[in-house]
Amino acid sequence: MKKDKHGQLKIQQMTFMLIAVTFLFILVGLFFLSIRLYNVKQTATTLEQQNAMLLVSKLANSPEFSCGNAFGTSRTNCLDFDKLMALWNRIDNYSDFWGVAKIEVRKIYPDESTLCDNFNYPNCGDIKILDKNVNTQPAVSNFVSLCRKDTNRNEIYDKCELALLMISSESKK
Amino acid sequence: MCGLRDKMTKKKKGALEMSFGWLFALVAGAVILFFAIYISTRLINTEKETLSAQTGKEIGILLNPLETSFQSAQTTSITIPVETRINNKCDDTGTFGKQIIQLDQKNLNKWTKTDINVFFENKYIFSTDGIEGKQFYIFSKPFSFPFKVADLFYITSANDIYCFINAPNEIATEINDLNQSNLITKNCSSNAIKVCFSGGNCDINVNDYAGYVEKNGKEMYFAGTEDDYGNALMYAAIFSNYDIYECQLKRLMLRERELSLLYASNELITETRGCDYNIGGNLNELSDLAAKLNSSEELKIMKVQVDIINEENSARKCKLW
Repeated sequence: MKKDKHGQLKIQQMTFMLIAVTFLFILVGLFFLSIRLYNVKQTATTLEQQNAMLLVSKLANSPEFSCGNAFGTSRTNCLDFDKLMALWNRIDNYSDFWGVAKIEVRKIYPDESTLCDNFNYPNCGDIKILDKNVNTQPAVSNFVSLCRKDTNRNEIYDKCELALLMISSESKK
Repeated sequence: MCGLRDKMTKKKKGALEMSFGWLFALVAGAVILFFAIYISTRLINTEKETLSAQTGKEIGILLNPLETSFQSAQTTSITIPVETRINNKCDDTGTFGKQIIQLDQKNLNKWTKTDINVFFENKYIFSTDGIEGKQFYIFSKPFSFPFKVADLFYITSANDIYCFINAPNEIATEINDLNQSNLITKNCSSNAIKVCFSGGNCDINVNDYAGYVEKNGKEMYFAGTEDDYGNALMYAAIFSNYDIYECQLKRLMLRERELSLLYASNELITETRGCDYNIGGNLNELSDLAAKLNSSEELKIMKVQVDIINEENSARKCKLW
């Protein structure tokens, strides 16, 4: 009886030991995994930011934004304001197209901070083309010229102003 | 007698106690070892998949600087430290479809397959499926139909040499100007992929007059505007296989549809400031044609509408593009 009890005690000891060792392994594993997961999230955020940085210099030349030959000769870093308004009205189709969370164009000279909509256009200076309402990284920006057609005494002319194209990527952290 | 039986029982009990302890330790040890090996294997696989996804995303991001503005073509190369297979996949469902990149990398002389797909909606990559190597060349060209629709990216492995035989002057000049070592116009080696422009027994035959590229017995049609005479789509057909070409073309037409509607709205906005209103109806028709395109052969029908719209835009007081 005494030996049986001694054997049972040993098995119990070993079971507890095994459970403790298993827990230890699980905890170490979880710790390692959380570090790894954090690194993966950080890499994803870095890649998103890299995408935004490279995109901001080229987005002005993409067909949805660019002036093309609409204002005389072909211009680089030129945004067609009229086309942007048309895009603003159809942005639902473009929500995942560029892989960024926010795209905004802000007129900086002459300074005008009114948000653009269908009623106040073209007497406005800030057009939020895309806003996914998610946590974002600080915006990266690029100077562009913002051009549109305007009239003066029934004469149509090209009006270009200085603006800032801002892009924010989603923060995955 | 009695003493001997007691001794025997004690021996038996002792043997049982020892073997149970050992058995228990062995089973527990085996279970722990099994889990440790299983988790390590899973972790290694996850690590490989993460790396593959990261490289795929990086390739997509690296394509951004290749977007063209004034240039007619741009080239660059990427080098990956390990032997890599780029699987180019295309999905033409949804508003713009998806460009999918999936990478397999070589480890210990064995290809490690990963199921991680990295996708982009605004990229159009033309290549054969599963291009292998460490160094890849990417060159890009804008595609206009009649307005700029997108930049097309052509990815080739440095191991695959393309030799353009009897290419028209403007194509030969463009290829030579690219200075891409795997695209040549003379002194073709026997293992080069031969691209012929005037018939013959070649891997790829370009019929410039009829506007199609014949590859593996299949015809891929191309068209374009006077800006590039359809060269952007011609290169696309040369460097990709039939399925990828047709799928990417459908994706391009999905973007064409949206852009047509965008320009039609743009015309309405500029009309309020005294600009002409003459093109909206045709742009809507072009949008419908683009949405309904089933195969590259139908590009010819679209080309008629595209030329009409191009002329109308050129005649406008306020050009839309």
